[in-house]
Amino acid sequence: MSRLVKKSPSVCTDLPLDNADICNKLRLMRELLGSCYGPTGRLKQIHNNIGGRVVTTSSSSVLLPAIASSEPFVNLIRTSILHHVRRFGDCGLFAAIFCLSLVEQAKQSGLRAKAVIRSNEHLASLCTDYLKQGGCGCKVKLDLCSGRDLVALARSVVSSKPACVLTEPECVHISRLAVRAFLLTVPCDTPGSVSLGQTVRVSVEGLPVTHSAVVPGLLVDTAEDVYLSQPCSLPHPLVLFSASLAGDLSELGDGLIEVHPRVDSDSQVLSQLLELGNQVVRDGVKVFVCQKVIHPVLQLYLTSHGVTVVERLGVTLMEPLIQLTGAQPVATLHSAVQPTAYGQVGGLSVRRFGSKTMLHLQACGESAICTIILCHRNETMLNELKVTCQKAEHVLRLALREPSALRGGGCTETHLAAYVRRQSKSEVPALGRGCSQTEYLRAAEAFCRSLESVARSLEHDGGTSTIDPTHAHRWTRPSDVATERRGVGAGCCGCGSLDGRETWTSAEFPPADLLRDASVQPGVLDSFTAKLNALQVAVETANLALDVRYVIRDVN
Amino acid sequence: LKKYKLEVMLSVKHLHLKHALQTVCTLEAVILRSFGPEGGQVLFTRDTGQAMLSCSGTQILKALRLEHPLARMVVECVWKHSAVTGDGSKTFVLLLASILRLIHAAASKAPGVSQWSTEAAEAATARHLADKLLAFAMTELDDLICVSVAPHGFCVSSEDFTTKTQLPSCPNGFCVQALLSSFFHTRLDYVHCDFLSGLACELLGHWKFQNDTLSFALQFLNDNFPALHTQVSGFPVSSSHVIEGQVIHRDFATPCLQVNNQPVKAVVVTEYLQPKLLRRGDMLDLGCGGRVTGEKSIIPFSAWTERSLESVIATLQSLGVSVLLCAVKQSAAALALAAQAEMCLVECVSEEELSLFVRLSGVAPISDCWMIQPENVATLTFCKPIQLGAHRYADNLITSFKPCSLVICGSGEVQTEQYASAFQDAIRMLFTTWEPTRMTETTALKKPVQSHQCTSLNAHNLTEDTVCRSSDVYVLKPGCVIPAGGTFEFLLHHALLQHGRSCSASNYTNTGVGVSQILADALLTVPRQIYSHNLKSFLQTQTRVTSFTSNQPHHFMLLKNARGTTEDPEKGDEPSKLFTLDSGLESVSCKHQLLLAVLQCLTICCVDSLFIRALIFKPAAYLYSFYESKIYVRCFSLFRSSIMAAVKITHCLLHLVLV
Repeated sequence: MSRLVKKSPSVCTDLPLDNADICNKLRLMRELLGSCYGPTGRLKQIHNNIGGRVVTTSSSSVLLPAIASSEPFVNLIRTSILHHVRRFGDCGLFAAIFCLSLVEQAKQSGLRAKAVIRSNEHLASLCTDYLKQGGCGCKVKLDLCSGRDLVALARSVVSSKPACVLTEPECVHISRLAVRAFLLTVPCDTPGSVSLGQTVRVSVEGLPVTHSAVVPGLLVDTAEDVYLSQPCSLPHPLVLFSASLAGDLSELGDGLIEVHPRVDSDSQVLSQLLELGNQVVRDGVKVFVCQKVIHPVLQLYLTSHGVTVVERLGVTLMEPLIQLTGAQPVATLHSAVQPTAYGQVGGLSVRRFGSKTMLHLQACGESAICTIILCHRNETMLNELKVTCQKAEHVLRLALREPSALRGGGCTETHLAAYVRRQSKSEVPALGRGCSQTEYLRAAEAFCRSLESVARSLEHDGGTSTIDPTHAHRWTRPSDVATERRGVGAGCCGCGSLDGRETWTSAEFPPADLLRDASVQPGVLDSFTAKLNALQVAVETANLALDVRYVIRDVN
Repeated sequence: LKKYKLEVMLSVKHLHLKHALQTVCTLEAVILRSFGPEGGQVLFTRDTGQAMLSCSGTQILKALRLEHPLARMVVECVWKHSAVTGDGSKTFVLLLASILRLIHAAASKAPGVSQWSTEAAEAATARHLADKLLAFAMTELDDLICVSVAPHGFCVSSEDFTTKTQLPSCPNGFCVQALLSSFFHTRLDYVHCDFLSGLACELLGHWKFQNDTLSFALQFLNDNFPALHTQVSGFPVSSSHVIEGQVIHRDFATPCLQVNNQPVKAVVVTEYLQPKLLRRGDMLDLGCGGRVTGEKSIIPFSAWTERSLESVIATLQSLGVSVLLCAVKQSAAALALAAQAEMCLVECVSEEELSLFVRLSGVAPISDCWMIQPENVATLTFCKPIQLGAHRYADNLITSFKPCSLVICGSGEVQTEQYASAFQDAIRMLFTTWEPTRMTETTALKKPVQSHQCTSLNAHNLTEDTVCRSSDVYVLKPGCVIPAGGTFEFLLHHALLQHGRSCSASNYTNTGVGVSQILADALLTVPRQIYSHNLKSFLQTQTRVTSFTSNQPHHFMLLKNARGTTEDPEKGDEPSKLFTLDSGLESVSCKHQLLLAVLQCLTICCVDSLFIRALIFKPAAYLYSFYESKIYVRCFSLFRSSIMAAVKITHCLLHLVLV
């Protein structure tokens, strides 16, 4: 008789934010993520306790999945931020630090949770409304016609990832490559709705970073001794199989097949395959690609007839290849390949990158598929570089939808804090019975302090962060040791659009328009869309964390 | 058998009223954390490790995984109640605890009967009280609510969903939104409630257009909600929206071509397009010439499946089909041939989405690929890929029937899950509010006693009104709402007290006074908890409500007597203006059902000790199943009718065992 296992009762935690253990964990997480923030952020090494691969990173998309906690409350915040990172690819650390310091400040202020939640929500909508309006002091219009702004945007992403270990020229090189790859995926003259192409990333270990390159078309792995037919007539016809050509018949069903010893099924199937090969050769196909495995005899047959064979393409490369060549995948073995299913390849060549031999397929006409080859000295740096390039591409694509950017280097945060502080003093909204005026003012102060603490987290070398009264930008006075290590000149503000020679006048707000001098463009830019979403997600998550009164954990 | 008997003896538990009270109070303490405007949310992790966030009383109680049989029974009752109405699970526990507390106080004061111990006497008194409370609720509560509470609310007619979208200034449209908004306040964090209730109104407005009755539309939405919403994490809640068409939560398996020809023809396929040659258990014998199949090679069989696939695709092409929705994963050859025939194919579509699609489009799914008829072909206005968060889905719009789906955004899965469940419960709550013929059964039951009680009601309360005196049965009109924030409880409290007074004056029964007094006092706990942080406003609200009831004459807009005469709806708006609408609205019928459910659960709590003893003598095989609390409740209803007989049998059998 099967017995029911008795379920043990759940473990409960009342008021999790009053729990010292949870608070310690939250503080630890804020310090850990805060120390990774910005171009001079400290790196983290992740490995499990039984050895295994060591990952060096400072990027939120790698860090956040790795720091899973046993505490569901901490995980709640972590997964919220992680979802933002997966959608927008940028500003993950900003969201995490901001959210955690909002929670911490709210707890320190001793205000009622409901009052803080209502004020936070109002303040967040104040910020987003300000950022969305035209005259916002921290927004910069992006000029998509000149590559300069795009490179600046990509560069802020690349330079904020110190785990890539890039020198200044390498950083510029990678940013340019990211922009180039992005521009190649934008189709030129397509009427109607435009769909962006795809960038395929190939990583090569052991080569210097400057060997990284972008090529239009696709690079696919091939065997060392790939056979190339002579460039007789361009374009080459191509056939693409999505079914396995290894001689297995998988679509017959689940039943049994009993084969008499005299019957040689293998050779029968093989002869069928060879017949297929024969037809393809007759049709003049020069490139034969299969998603899965090709029978070695068929391969030999095809190469002997001057056809270049690529097998085990993988499902991820199928779609770019279909887009590039216009071929339709074939999966029928018993009927002749339709003439419409053939695709065209404009150029075919073999390229070698370090240890890798790759076949370079180019499109006939114009296509929005390109490949970026990333080189770096070792595996862990290369992985970080891959993540970085992916993020840069994502940020550039977001910029296409909303061609603006925000001033980076902490200037947006300090500017917003100054704006919120001023607004909250001048007008107090009616927030209903749940929140009094005093509570609102104190919550606004906590909100501003959290924003400023995010800006402060950019400094890791013991320098002091200051805010100027005119434009409310962030400035750093470095400690003596760190003077020569700073990338941005010591005389500039965080985003690089102001220098120290100006004289500060008054605390007037909104500040004088910075863009009257068009030549002064900020050197550090953040993605507008990603940051806006990060701000909202951070406030929402913090509100949620403040609202949780009880944690029930099922321990079965 | 001896072993079983031993187990039988061990399972004997005598539960005192004290213990029942303790258990329910513990549940109340947990629930109070998330009750009222100051209440927060509860985070819990399932045994799978998945995190969930909730303010719903049912989910919180179920997550506790309680051991105590009584507590489990209460949780079961709460769950059953909220599965029907979708609302009131937290108030359930609050009311139950406070009634039990009052009963305990009353029972301990009552004089003990000589031959029983004090505990037994207490239990008996408690049980007696509980039974009478239930009897009172079954017979007189309906009328009390109809006469003294409902007239102070007003009726939202079912047309208001549609008017809301067209005329935002229309006050009635605002009412539905206010009702939803105050429901969401009990379920979600404060800030997004107004936004979400607007969204729910928009969704309901869309669906209302297509169905004649509102309750049908609500029932349909409730049944198909899983297929009609999409959860997207990583975006703020304010990005949630209603989109046209039905979202199939799968991506196209073949590259989706921009279909320009309108309309799009689609079919639903439940089987493999490429026939499987061999089913499980079949055997194919190759190479033995003289047998049934003379083939010596596998190739012709393989070729046959491909040829039949080609002919199926050709048939579909001749019908002009360009979209295939498949329930199963198709073979690579099927995908490739469909792509070559310029058909979009979606694989592994879930069963509920397919059944919704079939229901909306009215076509039959294809189960046998050899028999494709024109009746299998649905006509769509569009079919396009849609990118929601990280996933790409297929979005269909069916011409004859314009469906729309909800996209729920949140910063994490935990949050979107919570919003989705709150949405579904909101639909259930609305369904309960607008349920058309809910009261017929109870009214039919109590008809014999009606004449007597109705006159007693009329005598003390409604002397000036002629309509009510002449009527026999009161029926709550669907869609009756009342301002939230304790108004219902204050009004009913007041009415119960008056009723008690009139009963004692007319010398109706002595115990009736006690019962209505207990219920009246228990009801006040709810507003007391709502205003727990601000006692001043508790008193203010109470004073306002009671002074209002004593001064104003009643308007009978919500009452419809058995003869079907309805009052002028214009008068109905008058009393509502005296209440501030900022506290939101709540449904009267949900509250009424809640009270009934609580009182039913109460009788279980009070007779528990007797009940468990009665179970001992069931066959041993039966006993094993009693570890599950579900069975307790089911058996209880079996026994309920003859509970006194059970007590007698218990006593006899107890003697037998002991001997």
